[in-house]
Amino acid sequence: MSDAAIVPAAKTDVTTAETRVLHVVFRVDGADYALPADVVLQMESYTGATPVPGAKPFVAGIMQLRGRVVPVVDLRLRFGRPAAPLSADTRVVVGEAGGRAVALVADSAREVVRIAPSELAAPPQLVGDGTGSFVRAVAQHAGRTILILDFETLIGDEHG
Amino acid sequence: VHIDLREFRAAYLAEADEHLASANARLVEIDAAIRSGRQAPRDVRDLLRGLHTIKGLSAMVGVEPIVTLTHRMENALRGGLTVASMEPLFAAMRAIEVRLSALAKDEPVAEPPAALLAALAALEGESPAPAEVLELDPAIGEKLGASEREQIAHGVRDGRRLVRVDFAPTPARASSGLGINVVRERLERIGEIVKVVPVSGGPGLVFAILVLTSADDDAIASSVGIDASDIHPLSTTTPPPAPPSGDMASLLDDRDPNDDAPADVSRAVIRVEVARIDDAIEKLSGLVVTRSRLEREIEALAATGVVVRELDAIAAENGRQLKDLRASLLRLRMIPIASMFERLPFVVRGLAKTTHKDVALELDGGAAELDKTVAERIFPAILHLLRNAVDHGIEDPAERAREGKPERGTIRIACVARSNRDVEIVLSDDGRGVDAAAVARRAGVPTPTDSSGLLDLLCRPGFSTRLEADTTSGRGMGMDIVKRVVESLGGELFLDTTPGRGTVFRMSLPLSIAIVDAFSVRAGDDRFLVPVPTVDAIIDLTETPIVKGPGFDMIARHGTTVPVFDLRAALGLAPTGRTAAQALVVRRRRSDAVAFAVDRVVGQEETVVRPLADALVRSPGIAGSTDLGDGRATLVLDLVGLASRSMRAA
Repeated sequence: MSDAAIVPAAKTDVTTAETRVLHVVFRVDGADYALPADVVLQMESYTGATPVPGAKPFVAGIMQLRGRVVPVVDLRLRFGRPAAPLSADTRVVVGEAGGRAVALVADSAREVVRIAPSELAAPPQLVGDGTGSFVRAVAQHAGRTILILDFETLIGDEHG
Repeated sequence: VHIDLREFRAAYLAEADEHLASANARLVEIDAAIRSGRQAPRDVRDLLRGLHTIKGLSAMVGVEPIVTLTHRMENALRGGLTVASMEPLFAAMRAIEVRLSALAKDEPVAEPPAALLAALAALEGESPAPAEVLELDPAIGEKLGASEREQIAHGVRDGRRLVRVDFAPTPARASSGLGINVVRERLERIGEIVKVVPVSGGPGLVFAILVLTSADDDAIASSVGIDASDIHPLSTTTPPPAPPSGDMASLLDDRDPNDDAPADVSRAVIRVEVARIDDAIEKLSGLVVTRSRLEREIEALAATGVVVRELDAIAAENGRQLKDLRASLLRLRMIPIASMFERLPFVVRGLAKTTHKDVALELDGGAAELDKTVAERIFPAILHLLRNAVDHGIEDPAERAREGKPERGTIRIACVARSNRDVEIVLSDDGRGVDAAAVARRAGVPTPTDSSGLLDLLCRPGFSTRLEADTTSGRGMGMDIVKRVVESLGGELFLDTTPGRGTVFRMSLPLSIAIVDAFSVRAGDDRFLVPVPTVDAIIDLTETPIVKGPGFDMIARHGTTVPVFDLRAALGLAPTGRTAAQALVVRRRRSDAVAFAVDRVVGQEETVVRPLADALVRSPGIAGSTDLGDGRATLVLDLVGLASRSMRAA
């Protein structure tokens, strides 16, 4: 939990012609996901949560972060992917919305990128279990596909 | 009648400790004043008062060495102070402290070192003329001890008058609010009470109060609210034969009617053991239970068609009163933060001395109050930060001079109530700041880009011990502990540091917290806490074996059958195959008891429970989470809720 990095407060880069928005990028089961930096409180290494019996199935438990007790959502379970063992790369990305702070477990997280609006497209209309609604937009950035997540939907319990 | 003084010892130690802490603080103030060529009459007076109280308390429980020390200190303080006076006074203060802690450990209390007593005696002024000037009623005179005679002699020498104020309590006076305590209080404002002697005079009891004062009879009479005829001068106002420190003596009596507020307040204060307050809070929970029973009965009554409007109104009023009462009781546990700071100047003085630094400590406790338990837990963390600030933050005078800073470093501790729920304690120094690059090199990681990352580095467990060898690069040991303490109280720690300019630590803390007494139980590899009040009994399963039934398991207890669930299974956790050794019987209000089998009850803890408010993790059977000091969240179980759920599922 020690190699934390607080994402800089500056969200936009005014030196470029268009307004690029700062995003935190993390990997889950081979795909790149991102959250706008302004919802991300911090990133921490992750050594496991305290399981909470009776919590939602995609919830790994709770953890203490700087004096707060926050729920931990395992993104693999949230996205219906197979669970993976913890590694030295495993990170939690802690976001906050509507007064709720929630930690998201990702396979790794070490990047911050600036994404321009022109790089964004609406997500393809997906059929299936509805987990696609977590994706707010898809970015084609520097030759990579990055799925922009909707934090509030992610921490909602409609899909539990 | 033999009274075992041991009974009073705990109370004595607590009270003496408190007076000693504020006496220490006063002495540090006096020291600072004297060194800058000023006198500190108000602090001297407060210190005298504190020492006098300690002396009285010590005499009561028979701790003669402390009586001797405080007595000599009082005399030395009355003798007029110079820079040279300070060392013996500080030494005497430490000697008292050492003896109090010996007493606390039930060890023998050593006599004061002769050299120290001699040094204190050397500070006393000329021995005053024997107290022959006094025309005392023998009935009163024989009640005066040597130290009181000496006090009188000193007072008279300093130019004050000794008067006897006679106060006869009567029903009429009592009904107008004039009792002996009020009279004492009022006299304290205009003079120094030497002794109160009850004497039987005329129709009833009369209190003869001996007072040293500069006020004349009329002033005494009007400020106390008695007749001038009840005031009998016992000494004349002969000018003092040039006291050793003239301004000192007069300043001692230079009482601004408004500046005695603390003394007045202290008269209206009583000392209560926290356990008694907690007992009252506990009893209150009984009332709350009774109230909910009452509400259920009213509902039942309403269901039969009875008009219960009046009853409803009464129950609602009762509910509001209980809530107010609870708030009042919780407020009783609050202590002023300023009082917690009182010992700090003494600590800084000692540290500055051993590190050969020049440090001024500025304290601003404000009016904020903190729950006693929070205060007790946070105090060591504040001490830690303070030590680090002196050890590593503040540079030595030569280095400061080179940097173009004043040679004397400043550490400031301030306290701000941010809201009615939070308080912020800010500890800042104007030292060298934390060298982030050096800290990162030590830790073998990239230099943090912001102060929060730097704080995390400093707070890595064990990290700072490695820094000990290189104190110039950062903070000393124990930052991880500081952070953990703050966070375990539900607070947050922040760092703000500027190289060369100084460091600021901010701690935000909740004003009060829910402290719960809980059993710590082990079930498989997991540890849980169970609040003590919900547990009726702990049953040893080796003596009372579990009976395996077809539907669920049972144990026999008091001639009844209690269903028993495996705790892990009830929580939906994987079984461990281990045999449970103990079962917790849960007290349920309206239903039968239920028991939960655990591997073992490992202990009992006082813990801070934080509720799990988020919908993602809210669960019946879980009351909240706590930090047992390992930085991880440990679940606090609601076994009553879990019992209901398990019974329904069974």
